[in-house]
Amino acid sequence: MQVEVEIVEAPLEEYVPRPAASADVGALAEFWGTVRDEEGGTKIAALHYEAYQSMAKRQMETILLELETAFPCQRVHVVHRRGWIPVNEAAIYVGVQACHRKEAFGLLTSFMDRLKQDVPIWKTEARPC
Amino acid sequence: MTVLFFATARTATGLSREELPVSGALSESELWEKLIMRHPALAEVRASTRLACNGIYAEAGRVFLDSDEVALIPPVSGG
Repeated sequence: MQVEVEIVEAPLEEYVPRPAASADVGALAEFWGTVRDEEGGTKIAALHYEAYQSMAKRQMETILLELETAFPCQRVHVVHRRGWIPVNEAAIYVGVQACHRKEAFGLLTSFMDRLKQDVPIWKTEARPC
Repeated sequence: MTVLFFATARTATGLSREELPVSGALSESELWEKLIMRHPALAEVRASTRLACNGIYAEAGRVFLDSDEVALIPPVSGG
C-alpha cells in the first residue's frame, strides 16, 4: 500500500488533487473533516490546531500500515492542516483507494478512530465569533 | 535532554521546549518528578499525559537519557 501523509498550514484544497485511480481500483472513499461553528456550546469563528509534526506524521504512517493487514487498500492520502482554521474549512482530508468499498470504508473509519486516540495533534484554542 | 511541551503541558509550563540536563538514565517516574519540581503545574496534567521518546510513545520500563528528545503528549484532539 502506498501511504502519503502531510501536515500543512494552507487550505487543504491546494494539496489534494483529484485522485487518479488505477484500473484495479473499484472504490474511492474520501473524508473531509471540517471545522464546525460550535465548540463546547459556544459559537466560534475558527479553531487553532497544534501538532508535534514529526511524530504526528510518523504516527499516521504507522497506523495506516498497521491497518493495511485488516483492510488491504491500494493507496491512502492524508493531509492534516495546522494553525488557525476558519469555520467551514477542512482540518483533515483522507482519501482511500481500494479494490472494494468494504476495505476503503473500513480503513477510513478505523484510521480516524486511531487518529483521535494516538496522533499528537491538538485543538488548542477557539476564536469566538 | 530536550523536552517538548504541547497543548495543556505547554500552558502549564509556559514553554514549548526546554533543555534539561540529565545524568545517567531516568525512569518515567523519576523524569516526571524532575519535571514537576521545575514546573509544579505539570502535576495537574501528569495523569492524562503520555511521554514520547524520540518521536515514539514510551513503553513501560523505558529509561530516558540525556541524548533523548522527550515530548509530553496530553490527550490528543486532531481531525
